[in-house]
Amino acid sequence: MMLKHGVAALALIAFAATTASAQTLKAVQDRGHLICGVSEGLPGFSAKDDKGQWSGLDVDYCRALAAAIFNDATKVEFVPLSAEARFGALQSKKIDVLSRNSTWTMGRETSLNLIFAAVSYYDGQGFMVRKALKIESALELANKSICTKSGTTSELNLADYFRDNRLTYKVVTFPSADEALKAYDGGRCEALTSDVSQLYALRTELGTPRDHIILPDIISKEPLGPVVRQDDVKWLNIVKWTQFAMVDADEMGVSRRNLDQAMKSQKPSVRRLLGLEGDFGKQLGLTNDWAARILRLVGNYGEVFERNVGTGSKLGIPRGINQLWNKGGIQYAPPIR
Amino acid sequence: MTRFCVLLSVLLVIAAAPIHAQSPSDTDMLGLPDQPGYVPNPAEEQLDVAFERQPVFYRTTEPPGTIVISTSQRFLYLVQGNNRAIRYGIGVGRVGFQWSGVHRISRKKEWPDWTPPPEMIARQPYLPRWMAGGPGNPLGARALYIGKTVYRIHGTNQPQTIGHAVSSGCFRLTNPDIIDLFPRVPIGTKVVVQHASAL
Repeated sequence: MMLKHGVAALALIAFAATTASAQTLKAVQDRGHLICGVSEGLPGFSAKDDKGQWSGLDVDYCRALAAAIFNDATKVEFVPLSAEARFGALQSKKIDVLSRNSTWTMGRETSLNLIFAAVSYYDGQGFMVRKALKIESALELANKSICTKSGTTSELNLADYFRDNRLTYKVVTFPSADEALKAYDGGRCEALTSDVSQLYALRTELGTPRDHIILPDIISKEPLGPVVRQDDVKWLNIVKWTQFAMVDADEMGVSRRNLDQAMKSQKPSVRRLLGLEGDFGKQLGLTNDWAARILRLVGNYGEVFERNVGTGSKLGIPRGINQLWNKGGIQYAPPIR
Repeated sequence: MTRFCVLLSVLLVIAAAPIHAQSPSDTDMLGLPDQPGYVPNPAEEQLDVAFERQPVFYRTTEPPGTIVISTSQRFLYLVQGNNRAIRYGIGVGRVGFQWSGVHRISRKKEWPDWTPPPEMIARQPYLPRWMAGGPGNPLGARALYIGKTVYRIHGTNQPQTIGHAVSSGCFRLTNPDIIDLFPRVPIGTKVVVQHASAL
Protein backbone atom coordinates (compact mmCIF):
# COMPACT_ATOMS: atom_id res chain seq x y z
CA MET A 1 0.00 0.00 0.00
CA MET A 2 2.77 2.38 0.97
CA LEU A 3 4.46 1.73 -2.31
CA LYS A 4 1.23 2.27 -4.25
CA HIS A 5 0.62 5.58 -2.50
CA GLY A 6 4.18 6.54 -3.12
CA VAL A 7 3.83 5.86 -6.84
CA ALA A 8 0.52 7.72 -6.98
CA ALA A 9 2.06 10.67 -5.17
CA LEU A 10 5.01 10.68 -7.56
CA ALA A 11 2.67 10.54 -10.52
CA LEU A 12 0.74 13.48 -9.09
CA ILE A 13 3.91 15.48 -8.62
CA ALA A 14 5.02 14.61 -12.15
CA PHE A 15 1.61 15.68 -13.48
CA ALA A 16 1.74 18.94 -11.54
CA ALA A 17 5.24 19.63 -12.83
CA THR A 18 4.18 18.98 -16.42
CA THR A 19 1.19 21.29 -16.25
CA ALA A 20 3.20 24.02 -14.52
CA SER A 21 5.97 23.80 -17.08
CA ALA A 22 3.64 23.91 -20.06
CA GLN A 23 2.20 27.26 -19.07
CA THR A 24 4.31 29.70 -21.06
CA LEU A 25 4.00 27.89 -24.39
CA LYS A 26 0.26 27.45 -23.87
CA ALA A 27 -0.16 31.10 -22.87
CA VAL A 28 1.71 32.18 -26.00
CA GLN A 29 -0.33 29.86 -28.22
CA ASP A 30 -3.65 30.95 -26.66
CA ARG A 31 -2.70 34.62 -27.03
CA GLY A 32 -1.72 34.05 -30.66
CA HIS A 33 1.61 35.87 -30.45
CA LEU A 34 4.89 36.01 -28.56
CA ILE A 35 5.80 38.94 -26.32
CA CYS A 36 9.48 39.65 -26.54
CA GLY A 37 11.46 42.20 -24.50
CA VAL A 38 14.09 44.05 -26.56
CA SER A 39 16.28 47.12 -26.15
CA GLU A 40 14.95 50.60 -26.79
CA GLY A 41 17.24 50.97 -29.77
CA LEU A 42 20.67 49.50 -30.41
CA PRO A 43 21.94 49.36 -34.00
CA GLY A 44 22.27 45.80 -35.27
CA PHE A 45 20.60 44.24 -32.21
CA SER A 46 17.18 45.80 -31.92
CA ALA A 47 16.12 48.98 -33.61
CA LYS A 48 12.83 50.30 -34.96
CA ASP A 49 12.77 52.08 -38.33
CA ASP A 50 10.55 55.04 -39.24
CA LYS A 51 7.85 52.62 -40.43
CA GLY A 52 7.75 50.99 -37.02
CA GLN A 53 9.48 47.86 -38.27
CA TRP A 54 11.88 46.20 -35.80
CA SER A 55 15.11 44.63 -36.95
CA GLY A 56 18.34 43.28 -35.46
CA LEU A 57 20.00 40.16 -34.14
CA ASP A 58 17.96 40.16 -30.90
CA VAL A 59 14.78 40.87 -32.88
CA ASP A 60 15.44 38.04 -35.32
CA TYR A 61 15.84 35.69 -32.40
CA CYS A 62 12.27 36.54 -31.30
CA ARG A 63 11.04 36.07 -34.88
CA ALA A 64 12.73 32.66 -34.99
CA LEU A 65 10.89 31.65 -31.84
CA ALA A 66 7.58 32.85 -33.35
CA ALA A 67 8.38 30.96 -36.56
CA ALA A 68 8.94 27.74 -34.61
CA ILE A 69 5.69 28.14 -32.65
CA PHE A 70 3.30 29.71 -35.20
CA ASN A 71 4.98 29.12 -38.58
CA ASP A 72 4.72 32.89 -38.82
CA ALA A 73 7.70 35.08 -37.92
CA THR A 74 5.54 38.19 -37.62
CA LYS A 75 3.55 36.94 -34.61
CA VAL A 76 5.70 38.90 -32.15
CA GLU A 77 4.94 41.91 -30.02
CA PHE A 78 8.16 43.77 -29.24
CA VAL A 79 8.34 45.52 -25.88
CA PRO A 80 11.21 48.00 -25.68
CA LEU A 81 12.75 47.94 -22.21
CA SER A 82 15.35 50.06 -20.43
CA ALA A 83 18.29 48.35 -18.73
CA GLU A 84 16.66 48.96 -15.35
CA ALA A 85 13.22 47.62 -16.35
CA ARG A 86 14.26 44.53 -18.32
CA PHE A 87 14.53 41.84 -15.62
CA GLY A 88 11.49 43.05 -13.69
CA ALA A 89 9.39 42.81 -16.85
CA LEU A 90 10.39 39.18 -17.21
CA GLN A 91 9.84 38.32 -13.54
CA SER A 92 6.38 39.89 -13.55
CA LYS A 93 5.45 37.95 -16.73
CA LYS A 94 4.92 41.08 -18.84
CA ILE A 95 7.11 39.37 -21.44
CA ASP A 96 7.63 35.73 -22.41
CA VAL A 97 11.32 36.07 -23.15
CA LEU A 98 13.95 38.77 -22.87
CA SER A 99 16.16 39.19 -25.94
CA ARG A 100 17.95 42.39 -25.10
CA ASN A 101 21.77 42.31 -25.29
CA SER A 102 21.96 41.18 -21.67
CA THR A 103 25.15 39.71 -20.25
CA TRP A 104 24.94 36.25 -18.73
CA THR A 105 26.40 36.47 -15.24
CA MET A 106 26.16 34.24 -12.19
CA GLY A 107 24.43 36.86 -10.07
CA ARG A 108 21.64 37.35 -12.57
CA GLU A 109 20.77 33.67 -12.42
CA THR A 110 21.19 33.16 -8.68
CA SER A 111 19.65 36.35 -7.32
CA LEU A 112 17.04 37.26 -9.93
CA ASN A 113 15.57 33.75 -10.43
CA LEU A 114 16.20 34.00 -14.14
CA ILE A 115 17.99 31.68 -16.51
CA PHE A 116 20.02 32.40 -19.62
CA ALA A 117 19.05 29.93 -22.33
CA ALA A 118 22.05 30.22 -24.66
CA VAL A 119 24.65 32.66 -25.97
CA SER A 120 23.45 34.40 -29.11
CA TYR A 121 26.39 36.80 -29.29
CA TYR A 122 29.78 36.71 -27.59
CA ASP A 123 30.58 40.32 -26.86
CA GLY A 124 33.48 41.70 -24.87
CA GLN A 125 35.44 44.85 -24.27
CA GLY A 126 37.83 46.01 -26.99
CA PHE A 127 39.59 49.04 -28.40
CA MET A 128 39.15 51.33 -31.39
CA VAL A 129 42.21 53.15 -32.72
CA ARG A 130 43.12 55.20 -35.77
CA LYS A 131 44.55 53.10 -38.56
CA ALA A 132 47.31 55.67 -38.99
CA LEU A 133 48.70 54.61 -35.59
CA LYS A 134 49.62 51.25 -37.20
CA ILE A 135 48.69 49.37 -34.02
CA GLU A 136 47.45 45.80 -34.44
CA SER A 137 47.31 44.61 -30.82
CA ALA A 138 46.08 46.03 -27.52
CA LEU A 139 49.52 45.24 -26.11
CA GLU A 140 50.86 48.07 -28.25
CA LEU A 141 48.74 50.59 -26.32
CA ALA A 142 51.40 51.14 -23.63
CA ASN A 143 51.63 54.79 -22.53
CA LYS A 144 48.71 55.75 -24.77
CA SER A 145 45.70 57.70 -23.54
CA ILE A 146 42.39 55.85 -23.65
CA CYS A 147 38.91 57.39 -23.60
CA THR A 148 35.98 55.63 -21.91
CA LYS A 149 32.70 56.25 -20.13
CA SER A 150 33.16 56.80 -16.39
CA GLY A 151 31.72 54.58 -13.67
CA THR A 152 31.37 51.50 -15.90
CA THR A 153 32.81 48.02 -15.77
CA SER A 154 34.78 49.10 -18.86
CA GLU A 155 36.88 51.40 -16.70
CA LEU A 156 37.57 48.58 -14.22
CA ASN A 157 38.36 46.01 -16.93
CA LEU A 158 40.76 48.48 -18.49
CA ALA A 159 42.66 48.85 -15.20
CA ASP A 160 42.75 45.03 -14.75
CA TYR A 161 44.02 44.42 -18.28
CA PHE A 162 46.85 46.92 -18.07
CA ARG A 163 47.82 45.76 -14.58
CA ASP A 164 47.89 42.11 -15.70
CA ASN A 165 50.10 42.98 -18.66
CA ARG A 166 52.26 45.36 -16.62
CA LEU A 167 51.63 48.24 -18.96
CA THR A 168 51.02 51.86 -18.11
CA TYR A 169 48.29 53.94 -19.72
CA LYS A 170 46.35 57.14 -19.22
CA VAL A 171 42.58 56.91 -18.86
CA VAL A 172 40.37 59.87 -19.80
CA THR A 173 36.76 59.37 -18.63
CA PHE A 174 33.51 61.01 -19.71
CA PRO A 175 29.98 60.82 -18.31
CA SER A 176 28.52 59.41 -21.57
CA ALA A 177 29.57 57.21 -24.49
CA ASP A 178 28.82 60.08 -26.91
CA GLU A 179 31.15 62.43 -25.10
CA ALA A 180 33.89 59.79 -25.00
CA LEU A 181 33.44 59.30 -28.76
CA LYS A 182 33.64 63.05 -29.44
CA ALA A 183 36.80 63.30 -27.35
CA TYR A 184 38.36 60.39 -29.26
CA ASP A 185 37.28 61.92 -32.57
CA GLY A 186 38.78 65.24 -31.51
CA GLY A 187 42.13 63.61 -30.73
CA ARG A 188 41.95 63.81 -26.91
CA CYS A 189 43.00 60.17 -26.75
CA GLU A 190 44.55 57.58 -29.01
CA ALA A 191 42.08 54.78 -28.24
CA LEU A 192 38.45 54.39 -27.27
CA THR A 193 37.35 51.41 -25.20
CA SER A 194 33.88 49.86 -24.81
CA ASP A 195 32.16 46.60 -25.73
CA VAL A 196 33.19 45.59 -29.25
CA SER A 197 29.61 45.60 -30.61
CA GLN A 198 29.25 49.18 -29.40
CA LEU A 199 32.59 50.24 -30.88
CA TYR A 200 31.45 49.10 -34.32
CA ALA A 201 28.22 51.08 -33.91
CA LEU A 202 30.14 54.16 -32.70
CA ARG A 203 32.54 53.87 -35.63
CA THR A 204 29.68 54.43 -38.09
CA GLU A 205 29.14 57.85 -36.47
CA LEU A 206 32.69 59.02 -37.18
CA GLY A 207 33.45 61.22 -40.19
CA THR A 208 35.49 58.57 -42.02
CA PRO A 209 34.78 55.18 -40.41
CA ARG A 210 37.44 53.39 -42.47
CA ASP A 211 40.18 55.51 -40.86
CA HIS A 212 39.59 53.56 -37.66
CA ILE A 213 39.90 49.90 -36.72
CA ILE A 214 38.64 47.83 -33.84
CA LEU A 215 41.50 45.68 -32.52
CA PRO A 216 40.85 41.92 -32.36
CA ASP A 217 41.77 41.76 -28.66
CA ILE A 218 38.89 41.13 -26.28
CA ILE A 219 39.64 41.89 -22.63
CA SER A 220 36.38 40.95 -20.91
CA LYS A 221 33.62 38.37 -21.20
CA GLU A 222 30.15 39.63 -22.12
CA PRO A 223 28.13 36.63 -23.32
CA LEU A 224 24.74 37.93 -24.50
CA GLY A 225 21.66 35.78 -24.90
CA PRO A 226 17.93 35.25 -24.39
CA VAL A 227 16.64 35.04 -20.81
CA VAL A 228 13.58 33.28 -19.34
CA ARG A 229 12.08 32.66 -15.90
CA GLN A 230 13.26 29.66 -13.90
CA ASP A 231 9.79 28.17 -13.41
CA ASP A 232 9.25 26.66 -16.85
CA VAL A 233 11.82 24.15 -18.08
CA LYS A 234 9.78 23.22 -21.14
CA TRP A 235 9.76 26.82 -22.27
CA LEU A 236 13.47 27.10 -21.49
CA ASN A 237 14.07 24.15 -23.82
CA ILE A 238 12.17 25.80 -26.68
CA VAL A 239 14.07 29.07 -26.25
CA LYS A 240 17.41 27.25 -25.96
CA TRP A 241 16.92 24.89 -28.92
CA THR A 242 15.73 27.69 -31.18
CA GLN A 243 19.21 29.21 -30.84
CA PHE A 244 20.92 25.79 -31.09
CA ALA A 245 18.98 24.84 -34.23
CA MET A 246 20.11 28.04 -35.96
CA VAL A 247 23.75 27.37 -35.03
CA ASP A 248 23.54 23.68 -36.01
CA ALA A 249 22.00 24.68 -39.36
CA ASP A 250 24.86 27.13 -39.92
CA GLU A 251 27.33 24.32 -39.27
CA MET A 252 25.51 21.92 -41.63
CA GLY A 253 25.28 24.59 -44.33
CA VAL A 254 21.48 24.60 -44.26
CA SER A 255 20.24 28.11 -44.94
CA ARG A 256 17.13 30.00 -45.93
CA ARG A 257 18.47 30.03 -49.50
CA ASN A 258 19.00 26.28 -49.90
CA LEU A 259 16.24 24.94 -47.64
CA ASP A 260 14.27 23.30 -50.47
CA GLN A 261 17.39 21.46 -51.56
CA ALA A 262 18.17 20.52 -47.94
CA MET A 263 14.69 19.00 -47.56
CA LYS A 264 15.83 16.35 -50.08
CA SER A 265 19.06 15.64 -48.21
CA GLN A 266 19.95 12.07 -47.29
CA LYS A 267 22.28 13.16 -44.46
CA PRO A 268 20.82 11.92 -41.14
CA SER A 269 21.89 15.05 -39.22
CA VAL A 270 20.20 17.33 -41.76
CA ARG A 271 17.08 15.14 -41.79
CA ARG A 272 16.83 15.24 -37.99
CA LEU A 273 17.26 19.02 -37.97
CA LEU A 274 14.50 19.49 -40.53
CA GLY A 275 12.12 17.03 -38.87
CA LEU A 276 12.25 14.48 -41.70
CA GLU A 277 13.41 11.89 -39.16
CA GLY A 278 12.64 11.56 -35.48
CA ASP A 279 10.13 13.27 -33.23
CA PHE A 280 12.30 16.02 -31.80
CA GLY A 281 9.89 18.86 -32.51
CA LYS A 282 6.95 17.06 -30.93
CA GLN A 283 9.04 16.26 -27.86
CA LEU A 284 9.71 19.98 -27.61
CA GLY A 285 5.94 20.62 -27.61
CA LEU A 286 6.02 21.94 -31.17
CA THR A 287 5.71 20.35 -34.61
CA ASN A 288 8.48 18.29 -36.14
CA ASP A 289 9.20 20.94 -38.78
CA TRP A 290 9.91 23.55 -36.08
CA ALA A 291 13.51 24.14 -37.19
CA ALA A 292 12.62 24.09 -40.89
CA ARG A 293 10.14 26.89 -40.15
CA ILE A 294 12.87 28.93 -38.44
CA LEU A 295 15.21 28.44 -41.39
CA ARG A 296 12.58 29.27 -44.01
CA LEU A 297 11.24 32.36 -42.29
CA VAL A 298 14.34 33.74 -40.53
CA GLY A 299 17.49 31.84 -41.53
CA ASN A 300 20.43 30.16 -39.86
CA TYR A 301 22.70 31.83 -37.30
CA GLY A 302 25.28 32.95 -39.87
CA GLU A 303 22.61 34.51 -42.09
CA VAL A 304 21.09 36.35 -39.14
CA PHE A 305 24.53 37.52 -38.00
CA GLU A 306 25.69 38.76 -41.40
CA ARG A 307 22.38 40.45 -42.18
CA ASN A 308 22.18 42.40 -38.93
CA VAL A 309 25.70 43.08 -37.72
CA GLY A 310 28.10 41.51 -40.26
CA THR A 311 28.96 41.89 -43.92
CA GLY A 312 25.38 42.75 -44.88
CA SER A 313 25.08 45.60 -42.37
CA LYS A 314 26.52 49.05 -41.88
CA LEU A 315 28.33 47.83 -38.74
CA GLY A 316 30.53 45.30 -40.56
CA ILE A 317 31.41 43.30 -37.43
CA PRO A 318 33.63 40.30 -38.32
CA ARG A 319 32.20 36.92 -37.26
CA GLY A 320 35.38 36.61 -35.17
CA ILE A 321 34.68 34.92 -31.85
CA ASN A 322 31.06 34.36 -32.97
CA GLN A 323 32.18 32.20 -35.86
CA LEU A 324 31.44 28.47 -35.52
CA TRP A 325 33.79 26.47 -33.29
CA ASN A 326 35.22 24.64 -36.35
CA LYS A 327 35.75 27.81 -38.38
CA GLY A 328 37.76 29.99 -36.02
CA GLY A 329 35.23 31.05 -33.38
CA ILE A 330 33.57 29.54 -30.32
CA GLN A 331 29.87 29.28 -31.33
CA TYR A 332 28.97 25.68 -30.56
CA ALA A 333 25.58 23.99 -30.27
CA PRO A 334 24.82 20.48 -28.99
CA PRO A 335 23.62 18.05 -31.67
CA ILE A 336 19.97 17.33 -32.44
CA ARG A 337 19.64 13.63 -31.83
CA MET B 1 48.77 28.13 -66.47
CA THR B 2 47.28 31.37 -65.25
CA ARG B 3 44.64 30.98 -67.91
CA PHE B 4 42.12 29.02 -65.84
CA CYS B 5 41.77 31.87 -63.44
CA VAL B 6 39.11 34.52 -63.67
CA LEU B 7 35.67 33.74 -64.94
CA LEU B 8 34.73 31.66 -67.92
CA SER B 9 31.36 33.12 -68.71
CA VAL B 10 28.60 34.39 -66.54
CA LEU B 11 25.24 35.36 -67.88
CA LEU B 12 24.04 38.77 -66.89
CA VAL B 13 21.72 37.46 -64.21
CA ILE B 14 20.92 40.60 -62.34
CA ALA B 15 22.01 43.67 -64.26
CA ALA B 16 21.81 45.99 -61.30
CA ALA B 17 23.12 43.71 -58.57
CA PRO B 18 24.11 45.80 -55.56
CA ILE B 19 27.83 45.66 -55.11
CA HIS B 20 28.43 46.41 -51.46
CA ALA B 21 27.05 45.21 -48.17
CA GLN B 22 25.71 41.91 -49.41
CA SER B 23 25.66 38.86 -47.28
CA PRO B 24 27.66 36.15 -49.10
CA SER B 25 24.72 33.78 -48.99
CA ASP B 26 22.52 36.30 -50.75
CA THR B 27 24.86 36.91 -53.65
CA ASP B 28 26.14 33.98 -55.55
CA MET B 29 26.85 35.53 -58.85
CA LEU B 30 27.61 39.00 -59.92
CA GLY B 31 26.61 39.43 -63.53
CA LEU B 32 29.85 40.93 -64.60
CA PRO B 33 32.09 39.59 -67.39
CA ASP B 34 35.86 40.04 -67.39
CA GLN B 35 37.03 43.47 -68.38
CA PRO B 36 40.59 43.06 -69.67
CA GLY B 37 42.24 46.44 -70.05
CA TYR B 38 40.04 48.12 -67.46
CA VAL B 39 42.12 49.96 -64.85
CA PRO B 40 40.33 50.42 -61.51
CA ASN B 41 40.78 53.69 -59.64
CA PRO B 42 41.90 53.79 -55.99
CA ALA B 43 38.39 54.69 -54.80
CA GLU B 44 37.00 51.49 -56.35
CA GLU B 45 39.74 49.49 -54.66
CA GLN B 46 38.62 50.75 -51.28
CA LEU B 47 36.36 47.97 -50.04
CA ASP B 48 33.31 48.30 -47.89
CA VAL B 49 34.40 48.16 -44.21
CA ALA B 50 32.98 44.65 -43.88
CA PHE B 51 35.42 43.30 -46.49
CA GLU B 52 38.47 45.46 -45.93
CA ARG B 53 41.76 44.05 -44.69
CA GLN B 54 41.92 43.88 -40.89
CA PRO B 55 43.28 41.92 -37.94
CA VAL B 56 40.56 39.67 -36.45
CA PHE B 57 40.02 37.11 -33.70
CA TYR B 58 40.68 33.69 -35.24
CA ARG B 59 41.02 30.43 -33.33
CA THR B 60 42.87 27.69 -35.17
CA THR B 61 45.28 24.82 -34.67
CA GLU B 62 47.07 25.79 -37.91
CA PRO B 63 50.52 27.26 -37.25
CA PRO B 64 51.20 30.99 -37.74
CA GLY B 65 51.95 31.82 -41.37
CA THR B 66 49.31 29.42 -42.73
CA ILE B 67 46.74 30.74 -45.20
CA VAL B 68 43.18 29.55 -44.57
CA ILE B 69 40.63 30.33 -47.29
CA SER B 70 36.95 30.14 -46.43
CA THR B 71 35.00 30.01 -49.67
CA SER B 72 31.60 30.32 -48.01
CA GLN B 73 32.65 33.33 -45.94
CA ARG B 74 34.54 35.03 -48.82
CA PHE B 75 37.59 35.61 -46.62
CA LEU B 76 41.26 34.66 -46.67
CA TYR B 77 42.92 34.42 -43.27
CA LEU B 78 46.67 34.71 -42.73
CA VAL B 79 47.16 33.01 -39.35
CA GLN B 80 49.17 35.10 -36.85
CA GLY B 81 48.99 32.87 -33.77
CA ASN B 82 47.59 33.85 -30.36
CA ASN B 83 43.99 33.62 -31.70
CA ARG B 84 44.56 36.22 -34.37
CA ALA B 85 44.68 36.45 -38.13
CA ILE B 86 44.86 39.12 -40.80
CA ARG B 87 41.66 38.84 -42.81
CA TYR B 88 41.31 39.79 -46.49
CA GLY B 89 38.03 40.01 -48.42
CA ILE B 90 38.11 37.78 -51.52
CA GLY B 91 36.14 36.80 -54.59
CA VAL B 92 35.77 33.03 -55.00
CA GLY B 93 34.80 30.40 -57.55
CA ARG B 94 31.18 30.42 -58.56
CA VAL B 95 28.96 27.46 -57.78
CA GLY B 96 30.35 24.36 -59.45
CA PHE B 97 33.86 25.84 -59.39
CA GLN B 98 34.42 25.71 -55.62
CA TRP B 99 36.85 23.24 -54.14
CA SER B 100 38.73 22.34 -50.97
CA GLY B 101 42.15 20.93 -50.15
CA VAL B 102 45.55 21.48 -48.58
CA HIS B 103 48.49 22.67 -50.68
CA ARG B 104 51.62 24.79 -50.50
CA ILE B 105 52.47 27.99 -52.33
CA SER B 106 54.66 26.82 -55.22
CA ARG B 107 55.47 30.00 -57.10
CA LYS B 108 55.10 33.76 -56.82
CA LYS B 109 54.76 36.21 -59.68
CA GLU B 110 54.48 39.99 -59.88
CA TRP B 111 52.13 41.39 -62.55
CA PRO B 112 51.42 37.99 -64.14
CA ASP B 113 50.52 37.60 -67.81
CA TRP B 114 47.10 36.19 -68.75
CA THR B 115 46.35 33.51 -71.36
CA PRO B 116 42.62 32.72 -71.56
CA PRO B 117 42.09 29.00 -72.33
CA PRO B 118 40.48 27.93 -75.68
CA GLU B 119 37.09 27.14 -74.07
CA MET B 120 36.98 30.66 -72.70
CA ILE B 121 37.88 32.14 -76.09
CA ALA B 122 35.07 30.05 -77.60
CA ARG B 123 32.56 31.65 -75.26
CA GLN B 124 34.01 35.13 -75.34
CA PRO B 125 35.68 35.50 -78.76
CA TYR B 126 36.45 39.16 -78.10
CA LEU B 127 38.98 38.24 -75.39
CA PRO B 128 42.66 38.64 -76.13
CA ARG B 129 44.65 35.42 -76.75
CA TRP B 130 47.34 36.68 -74.46
CA MET B 131 47.70 39.73 -72.30
CA ALA B 132 50.89 41.07 -70.74
CA GLY B 133 50.88 41.71 -67.00
CA GLY B 134 49.91 45.22 -65.97
CA PRO B 135 47.24 47.37 -64.30
CA GLY B 136 44.46 46.35 -66.74
CA ASN B 137 45.20 42.63 -66.47
CA PRO B 138 42.38 40.55 -64.88
CA LEU B 139 44.98 38.72 -62.74
CA GLY B 140 45.99 41.98 -61.10
CA ALA B 141 49.23 42.97 -59.40
CA ARG B 142 50.46 39.68 -57.96
CA ALA B 143 49.81 35.93 -58.16
CA LEU B 144 50.52 33.20 -55.61
CA TYR B 145 50.41 29.74 -57.23
CA ILE B 146 48.62 27.08 -55.19
CA GLY B 147 50.65 23.83 -55.36
CA LYS B 148 50.32 21.97 -58.64
CA THR B 149 46.74 23.08 -59.15
CA VAL B 150 45.54 25.43 -61.87
CA TYR B 151 44.37 27.78 -59.12
CA ARG B 152 45.95 30.99 -57.89
CA ILE B 153 45.51 33.63 -55.26
CA HIS B 154 45.75 36.77 -57.34
CA GLY B 155 44.82 40.45 -57.67
CA THR B 156 42.05 41.80 -59.84
CA ASN B 157 41.17 44.75 -62.02
CA GLN B 158 37.53 44.32 -60.88
CA PRO B 159 37.55 45.16 -57.14
CA GLN B 160 33.74 45.21 -57.11
CA THR B 161 33.76 41.40 -57.45
CA ILE B 162 35.23 40.98 -53.93
CA GLY B 163 32.69 39.22 -51.71
CA HIS B 164 31.13 37.40 -54.66
CA ALA B 165 31.35 33.99 -56.33
CA VAL B 166 32.60 34.89 -59.79
CA SER B 167 35.75 32.99 -60.72
CA SER B 168 36.56 29.57 -62.10
CA GLY B 169 38.08 28.50 -58.80
CA CYS B 170 40.75 31.11 -58.20
CA PHE B 171 40.74 33.49 -55.24
CA ARG B 172 41.00 37.19 -56.01
CA LEU B 173 41.93 40.08 -53.74
CA THR B 174 42.04 43.78 -54.57
CA ASN B 175 45.44 44.85 -55.89
CA PRO B 176 46.34 46.78 -52.69
CA ASP B 177 45.44 43.66 -50.66
CA ILE B 178 47.42 41.18 -52.77
CA ILE B 179 50.38 43.60 -52.68
CA ASP B 180 50.07 43.59 -48.86
CA LEU B 181 49.78 39.78 -48.67
CA PHE B 182 52.51 38.94 -51.20
CA PRO B 183 55.65 39.70 -49.10
CA ARG B 184 54.09 37.99 -46.04
CA VAL B 185 53.83 34.67 -47.90
CA PRO B 186 57.04 32.79 -48.73
CA ILE B 187 57.11 29.86 -51.18
CA GLY B 188 56.20 26.70 -49.24
CA THR B 189 53.44 28.42 -47.20
CA LYS B 190 50.64 26.01 -46.30
CA VAL B 191 47.27 26.85 -47.89
CA VAL B 192 44.07 25.32 -46.51
CA VAL B 193 41.03 25.80 -48.74
CA GLN B 194 37.66 25.14 -47.06
CA HIS B 195 34.26 25.15 -48.69
CA ALA B 196 30.76 24.81 -47.31
CA SER B 197 29.70 21.36 -46.13
CA ALA B 198 27.54 19.43 -48.61
CA LEU B 199 23.90 18.90 -47.79
